[in-house]
Amino acid sequence: MKRIKNIKYIITVLVGSSLIFACTNLEVDEKDSVVVESSDAGFVAGDPTELLSSAYADLSALTDQANVYSLFDHTSDEMIPPTRGVDWGDNGVWRTLHAHTWDPTHSYVLNSWNQLNQRAFKCNQILASNPSAQEAAEAKFLRAFYTWQVMDLFGQVPFREVDEGVDVDPRVFSRSEAFDFIVKDLTEALSDLPDTGSSPTNSTATQAAAHAMLARLYLNKAVYTADNPEGGYTFTTDDMNKVIEHCDAVTDAGYSLESQYFTNFSVNATSEIIFTTASGSPQNRWFMTLHYDQNPSGWNGFTTLADFYAKFEDNDQRKGNYPAPDGSEFSGIARGFLIGQQYNDDGEVIINSRNQEPLAFTSDVPLAGASTEKGIRVIKYHPSDAGQYIFLRYGDVFLMKAEAIMRGGDGGGTTALEMVNTLRTTRGASTLASLDEVAMLDERGRELYWEGIRRVDQVRFGTFTDTWGEKTNTEPFRVLFPIPQQALDSNPNLVQNEGY
Amino acid sequence: MKKKLLRLIKMCSYYSFIGLLAQVVFYNFLFASGLSAQEVKSIEEVSINIKLENIGIKEAFRQIENRTNYRFAYEDRDLDKDVKINYVSENATVKNVLLEISKEASLSFRQVNNDIDVKKIHNNRKVSNSQRVEIFQGDITVKGKVLSAEDNTGLPGVNVIIKGTTNGTVTDINGDYSIEVPSENTVLVFSSVGFIQEERTVGTNTVINVTLNVDIKELSEIVVIGYGQVESKDATGAVTSIKEEDFNKGVISSPEQLIQGRTAGVQITSSSGEPGAGINVRIRGTSSVRSNNNPLFVVDGVPLSGDDVSGGVSDVGFGRTAPKNPLNFLNPNDIASIDILKDASATAIYGSRGANGVVIITTKSGKSGKDVLNYSYNFGVSNITKKYDLLEPNVYLDAYETFNGAAARDALDGGAETDWQDVIFRTAYTNSHNLSYGGGSEDSNFRFSLGYMDQEGIIENSGLTRYTARFNGSKSFIDDRLTISTQVTISDTKDDNVPITDNSGFEGDLLGAALKANPTLPIRDSNGDFIQLSNSEPNPAAMLALSKDFTNTLRALGNISAELKIINDLTFKTVIGIDRSMSNRTAAFSRDLNAATGILDKGRLFINDISIKNTLWENYFTYDKTFDNVKLNAVLGYSYQKFERSIRDSETTNFRTNDLDLMINNWASADMSLGNTIVGRNSSATIDELQSYFGRINLSYASKYLLTLTLRADGSTKFGSGNKYGYFPSAAIKWRLAEEGFLPDLFSDLSLRAGYGLTGNQEIPHNLYQERQRYRDWDIASGGNIDGGGLETVAFANPNLKWESTSQLSVGLEYGFVNNRIRGSVDYYYKNTNDLLIQITSAQPAVQPFVWTNLDADVINQGIELFVEADILTGDFSWNINANYAYNKNEVKNYSGLINTGEINGQGLTGAFAQRIAEGQPLFAFFLRKFAGFDNEGISVYEDGDFQQFVDASPIPTSTAGLTNNFYYKNFDLSFFFTGQFGHYVYSNTANAYFTAGALANGRNVTKDVVGNGESNLNAPDVSTRFLEKGDFVRLQNVSLGYTIDTENINAISRLRLYVTGQNLLVFTSYSGQDPEVNVNKSLNNVPSLGIDYTPYPRSRTIVFGVDISF
Repeated sequence: MKRIKNIKYIITVLVGSSLIFACTNLEVDEKDSVVVESSDAGFVAGDPTELLSSAYADLSALTDQANVYSLFDHTSDEMIPPTRGVDWGDNGVWRTLHAHTWDPTHSYVLNSWNQLNQRAFKCNQILASNPSAQEAAEAKFLRAFYTWQVMDLFGQVPFREVDEGVDVDPRVFSRSEAFDFIVKDLTEALSDLPDTGSSPTNSTATQAAAHAMLARLYLNKAVYTADNPEGGYTFTTDDMNKVIEHCDAVTDAGYSLESQYFTNFSVNATSEIIFTTASGSPQNRWFMTLHYDQNPSGWNGFTTLADFYAKFEDNDQRKGNYPAPDGSEFSGIARGFLIGQQYNDDGEVIINSRNQEPLAFTSDVPLAGASTEKGIRVIKYHPSDAGQYIFLRYGDVFLMKAEAIMRGGDGGGTTALEMVNTLRTTRGASTLASLDEVAMLDERGRELYWEGIRRVDQVRFGTFTDTWGEKTNTEPFRVLFPIPQQALDSNPNLVQNEGY
Repeated sequence: MKKKLLRLIKMCSYYSFIGLLAQVVFYNFLFASGLSAQEVKSIEEVSINIKLENIGIKEAFRQIENRTNYRFAYEDRDLDKDVKINYVSENATVKNVLLEISKEASLSFRQVNNDIDVKKIHNNRKVSNSQRVEIFQGDITVKGKVLSAEDNTGLPGVNVIIKGTTNGTVTDINGDYSIEVPSENTVLVFSSVGFIQEERTVGTNTVINVTLNVDIKELSEIVVIGYGQVESKDATGAVTSIKEEDFNKGVISSPEQLIQGRTAGVQITSSSGEPGAGINVRIRGTSSVRSNNNPLFVVDGVPLSGDDVSGGVSDVGFGRTAPKNPLNFLNPNDIASIDILKDASATAIYGSRGANGVVIITTKSGKSGKDVLNYSYNFGVSNITKKYDLLEPNVYLDAYETFNGAAARDALDGGAETDWQDVIFRTAYTNSHNLSYGGGSEDSNFRFSLGYMDQEGIIENSGLTRYTARFNGSKSFIDDRLTISTQVTISDTKDDNVPITDNSGFEGDLLGAALKANPTLPIRDSNGDFIQLSNSEPNPAAMLALSKDFTNTLRALGNISAELKIINDLTFKTVIGIDRSMSNRTAAFSRDLNAATGILDKGRLFINDISIKNTLWENYFTYDKTFDNVKLNAVLGYSYQKFERSIRDSETTNFRTNDLDLMINNWASADMSLGNTIVGRNSSATIDELQSYFGRINLSYASKYLLTLTLRADGSTKFGSGNKYGYFPSAAIKWRLAEEGFLPDLFSDLSLRAGYGLTGNQEIPHNLYQERQRYRDWDIASGGNIDGGGLETVAFANPNLKWESTSQLSVGLEYGFVNNRIRGSVDYYYKNTNDLLIQITSAQPAVQPFVWTNLDADVINQGIELFVEADILTGDFSWNINANYAYNKNEVKNYSGLINTGEINGQGLTGAFAQRIAEGQPLFAFFLRKFAGFDNEGISVYEDGDFQQFVDASPIPTSTAGLTNNFYYKNFDLSFFFTGQFGHYVYSNTANAYFTAGALANGRNVTKDVVGNGESNLNAPDVSTRFLEKGDFVRLQNVSLGYTIDTENINAISRLRLYVTGQNLLVFTSYSGQDPEVNVNKSLNNVPSLGIDYTPYPRSRTIVFGVDISF
């Protein structure tokens, strides 16, 4: 009897307690974030305005001296990143870029792949978030801007729909598919973008920016759609006419050449600035080159090469000017190329604190084992008056039209040589008697040095795999970067580029 | 809303049903085992028909057993295999049958109730029939009470056994027993765990009261296994219990330091020598590849969350600072024992959080008897163990001159002689007071304690101050059927931090600055102002004087439990626990400080608040029953734990004052009318939950064969709907060979155990399975601009995330020789961790560059652990040795990708890394250039070229060992403790960043070996084997000498002990850095690193004087 009573007692407790137990469904509310995933895991709209603003802010990554910028400039003949004793060794990332010996595990190759694709994807999210017509156009412009860089650097472009989750391997566009995709985005965007003229604070997409990008795409279409990315490239008259059409559209929007070249990079710029970023800052462009003992104190890094410097005439504004030290802050820093003895803001000779000798930049510069004074420094954005960081500038558009005419486009009576000479006259240089590919590439170098486009030009002109100072490797497959090893591991649809 | 409610109801009914089902199974088990006692008859009264024709003795016994209720108890060696029995009879009494067998087989029999004990007769012919077959039946009833000598109270649960049989009874709650014995010659054996066994011959007494004395050695044999405890001889898993007397002694700021080096297979490494520094505990190798690889810590039954409770500080330019050790809040003086569950069969009861092992901390409770007041005080003196051997000022100038010329030398020469290491290091003093008062009665006990510790760090301004208060109490009601207990601790900790970071760049942190600073520079100029040349060459003294960084943490951990005895063998326990912590880190850098960018002329203030609230509710039933030879212990329960965590983080600049206190306590001293002044960087709040069902059955048969089965089902909010629940089973067996009787007498213990189980891991950030968006952190960039704030997707959501699982096979042997004077164990394990939770590169395009996933790879840890303890000498002068050794092999298998980690920082080392996780390598294997010296120009030559590769070097020690010697002579006690690690390598990021010709040529001081090493000042010191060294070491960790003063003549004092302890006295190693036992967090993209040295807070050598008084 006693046992039965016990059993009742136990059962009551056990069943009672089992009802109390197990009362969470293990779903907790999110209090510090917005869940944008619906129950069926499909994508649900975010806030398009906020996402777009965030997408513009993301452009600041491109102002860094590493990653994307380094792939476009250190691999070309206008820039060298010397290792200076304990400085700038950085595990060899810079040396391998200059020497064209990078491999699929190169960290800047990986970071660039990630940064550009991630930013392109955010544009997909904006487009899926019921944006206004203009917001959609801006997102398409930004997507095209990022995707163009992926296509240019890597040849292949992965694509993921917004509702495709981690278990989906992104499909991969071939280079020519990617080309069509980018052109489509830009073309669709055009009509809904604002038609704004030049401003030093053009930090959102405009029709002129879309036209400039379209001109760039058609000018390089022969490269992007070539059967063999290594060349040769066949430029068609149709494409060149499209380049001219889009360049003209930029001109029609009110853009023109600025009479003082370095004004372009200052807060006072007026007529050439098509597209900039308001986030980030151009400061890395001076920190990465200036010496420790200059003001501002730089990181004593990158320089240009003697051969590149030799391309400039003395009268060319673009070669730069001597500083005018007057005691005011940063007046000791010149614009353009900094070579020879350097002076402080008060006009006194700067003494190199490392060896107590006057600091004079030399034109020679080795890739490794460089002492601190080696190499010619380059200042386009000046610390005293730097404007916003520029992605698209009219000088480029102007030369694109000239090149398109040179490559068979219809200049409407204007020749390429005339255009180049117009530019050169504006810049204070003598006129040329004739124009060939070498002269055109050199002119683009003089106009656009350190602006992140040199690799594209050298590939198009077929000189990217030549040799130059401290670069001896001529492997032709290096016109494309390798797909990063970790990207290959993460997506079986990617196939490594030829040669790697 | 309605839908949600419906879902909740559905969920509840679903789980209730499952719970009910489980309980039904449990009842069946419960009642099926309620065997009725069998009636006992004499073998003279029982007759059987039997036909034994030329059969063996055993078979004869078996036939008798088949026909009766009797059971034979014999040892195989007593039975002569050649003897054949021939006996056929109808209706013969069992007694007669046995007599016949006795004569043929030279055996004697003794009936005790239903057991028939068999013994060998050595001289067969001289034995009478009554000696051949004896009969004992329960006809005398003996009663009595068993008392504890400690407090003279009744001892429940004491086994009272008739000697030579397995028959007996158990004392009740008051210590009373009653037993029927066969004769006056019967000897009763009284035994209970933790007490010395007593024997009494019945004689003419019918009342036998016994007092049992506490057996200190036996007491230590209890191990806590989670939701219960067992005697160590009955533990089927690999469990090590360390009691107070075996703890490390000296200045101990957190509990895990108490057991550092004491246990085979448990590697405990502080991230630095800073008071309160974070820790790394690795049990049986390294298996996960996330930042949190520590075991689960359970304090008095409350599992702690693995998260940090205090904040780091954002990177000011010196790098990131490590959060403090989350276990600092416990006063080591309050801890009674620490139990380490190593294998899966032991940890499976903690399921999802058991994969890295479980450390169970039990705090002291009051003992019944006389109330005891205890006070202890200790005073410690600490000094740095090893300073770097840097260049003397003149040598430094000479060497600099060879690179840069005489003019440069003159410019560099500051004219003074400053040892910058001496500037920042000091002799540090620690004061620690502990007061406790405890006691108890028959049905209750209590203990209060107060602790105060003020530990100075060996770097100026650094230290730890902690106040703790604890109350543990317990009280029984309703005839002891209901017991209410509570354990509560509150602690207030203040950490004084200095600017030491994990990943400082070319400017260096405080220690980097002290190493590289120009030794000819004076600290201050003639005006008394700090000499601060530039932000990249900061003055270490200024860094200390012009910054203030402290963390205040208030933490309370408590639980209250009620245990109800439902019926005699079944108890129900409910536990409510809460762990609440509020931590505030404040770091101010004066605008006068020229270090890093963005501090000079502006000042910078960081405030980081972390608040956590973890609640626990657990309910479980324990069923404990002994049926004859079978002992059953079963546990079935439910656990719910909720983790709430919120963070607030802010950053302020543009201060108008240089007064650090004003900056901190008068924020308006920042000019907020300017832009870019204040950044409420971000805040966050998350909740995570764990819901678990668990059950365990321990079965033992005849104390020889033991079986443990465990199952835990864990549900976690960290996973998506399909993967919330994980199931973690385990099984283990143990065979106590020593009980079989066939072992030589030399063996006092010999047991074999084997177990296999599955455990899990879910320590990943909050909600990674849903796509969520948040506004990104704001940040004051180095140029002073404010960046950030954009809306973005938190993580690349992975709805397929599931539990990381670790399977472990474990085999062990426990042994004891010569009455356990030599005892120990040998263990082998094979651990395979797969579905590793880790952040890998996303398949772009994606919202984030990294995605959390279950990595399709296996991390294998296999190893051997040896433990031996020997009482070499006993008596007046006694000597005890205790040694442990563990071997571990770690390897990554079945993995096709690669993951880099081990970030290397310093000048010219941006983006550098030194470790890679890849197929066929140990985790965190070093991935370096192969350095082959310098060429004629002084430029590094690499054996296979200028690229990184695996160099067959692992940071994971293959062997770890510990050796303790304890000596006792009269009132003196002396112990030595050595610990060592072997077979691994250490990468010195310190040497890589600071000790190169290029650094010297740049005017930075270096170690003496740099001068004349043939390196050019233009050489780039890339990451290579040049900076890799063997990490083997042996450390004399602890020497303690104590004297206990005779207090027999002092009424007030019951115990008085004086002691002196030395900590970290000697290190034997070939490593050129400060200490080879080092692990600075050099994680890359959240993948942790291992074994990299980069200016950690150095370790100290400490001498402690202490006194311990009980009243």
